[in-house]
Amino acid sequence: MAKLYLKFDNSVLKEITMSQAPTTIGRLPDNTVQIDNLAVSGHHARITWENDHYEIEDLGSLNGTYVNSERVGKAKLRHCDMVKIGKHELEFKNEGPALFSAVAAKTGPAVAKLEATVMLDTRQAQEMHAGKAFYAPPAAMAAAATLAKERVGMLSVIEGKTDQEKYVLTSKMSMIGKSSMASIKLKGLFAPKSAALISKRENKYFIAPEHKVKLRINGEEVYSQRELGAGDVIEIGKMKAAFSFQD
Amino acid sequence: MTLAVEVAGKTDIGCVRKNNEDNFGYDSRYGIFVVCDGMGGQAAGEVASKMAVDTLLQYFRDLGRHGAHSNGNPTQTPSSDAESLAGAIRLANRTIHEAGTGQMGRLGMGSTIVAALVRGHSLAIGHVGDSRIYLIRQGAIQQLTQDHSLVMEQVRLGYITQEQADKSELQNVILRALGADVEVEADVEDLVAMPGDTLLMTSDGLTRHLRDDEILTMINGCRSLEEGCSRLIQAAKERGGDDNITCLLLRIVERPWYKNILRKFGSGGPQWQNSI
Repeated sequence: MAKLYLKFDNSVLKEITMSQAPTTIGRLPDNTVQIDNLAVSGHHARITWENDHYEIEDLGSLNGTYVNSERVGKAKLRHCDMVKIGKHELEFKNEGPALFSAVAAKTGPAVAKLEATVMLDTRQAQEMHAGKAFYAPPAAMAAAATLAKERVGMLSVIEGKTDQEKYVLTSKMSMIGKSSMASIKLKGLFAPKSAALISKRENKYFIAPEHKVKLRINGEEVYSQRELGAGDVIEIGKMKAAFSFQD
Repeated sequence: MTLAVEVAGKTDIGCVRKNNEDNFGYDSRYGIFVVCDGMGGQAAGEVASKMAVDTLLQYFRDLGRHGAHSNGNPTQTPSSDAESLAGAIRLANRTIHEAGTGQMGRLGMGSTIVAALVRGHSLAIGHVGDSRIYLIRQGAIQQLTQDHSLVMEQVRLGYITQEQADKSELQNVILRALGADVEVEADVEDLVAMPGDTLLMTSDGLTRHLRDDEILTMINGCRSLEEGCSRLIQAAKERGGDDNITCLLLRIVERPWYKNILRKFGSGGPQWQNSI
């Protein structure tokens, strides 16, 4: 499988897996690979699959497209070719399993510590010295991949008056109450405006009761923030709901 | 009972730098709170961060007083607090960008920003760059923003681990800043505030030296927000203080209605602070 690694100053910013559909590179958001930098033209270059190989074509860019330091109009891409666009580099890899060991071997020495905050931009890029980022071993990549798998929580109402029977908790914070801001709306004359808040962080859900509001989880009264587990039953006033995770 | 915000802010030059490029400001009457960390040589960083704070305060004062921003499009009313925060940040970006182009010595002028708009239970947050906002709720701390920095981006993509990021030499490279380009994309979010919540808005001069759990312990152990700010800054300085340090602490409190009226007549200390 062919891949492109978008790099700046030897640090990998992005990894792009290529298909047989054309890959476009440019500053504007409609490109497959967007490089938000003034040195890059709106639609800078395009990579296409030509029967048995990939080819890169410059789309009339102002600052040019370079393959291994040579300015090109159109060129065939080979494994390990370095495409330069503005100050950014795209490393082309067209090889299977040996990929990560090759990248990992490139771990460079540390450089002199930079003093001030800099913005990754062509102008200030010149001030930066050859900073080398650390590359992660495959184990770290796998760990990151499992972290990224998102779990979405749900509340199913068992008893009581609410505006829906089921709530999918996608936002970072969901309020339970009568307030217009509440995403889980309680009905009834004596329902509190704001009863409790469910917050989501790092794939976990926490419920925090409002001061003086009676919140029970599995029949037990709770006074401060607590993590929600699958199967927990929440009770606020006359409302009773079960928490679970979506598949 | 209505919800109100108590606030305290402090900025410090640190132990190494010769100037303070951080800035902050707030106006509790309109619920707007801002921290900025400027960059660029020859005082450009100081100018940029001040501009950003001033623009945000002015934007929400105008919005509160006249129902629209004087420079904004009056027909376009933002649909949520997060939207109006995004609009204000865009305006700040343009102001800095215009000031930075065409002036010698001001090239590369920019600033990070972290802003919160608090109105009752509604808490909208927005940021650009590596300044952060933390929420401390019922004993737990949570970082609400994700840095627009090279190392954090690499952590998210799985190229490096958090430990490697903490040691990286590239910690000061940010991917987005106000003033760098004509347009900027701010991350904004509509959230919910609860009474008892504490919010910490801070520049990277603090967060580079202190871990989340240390921040939590320090804030929990303080009797007042002012003391909290001082202790956090002191701790960052004891660990080197190699950058400017700014923190703004907010606490959401329930306030009886009569106190709100007294506030209108000036009781209970200042309600706003402009940029420094």
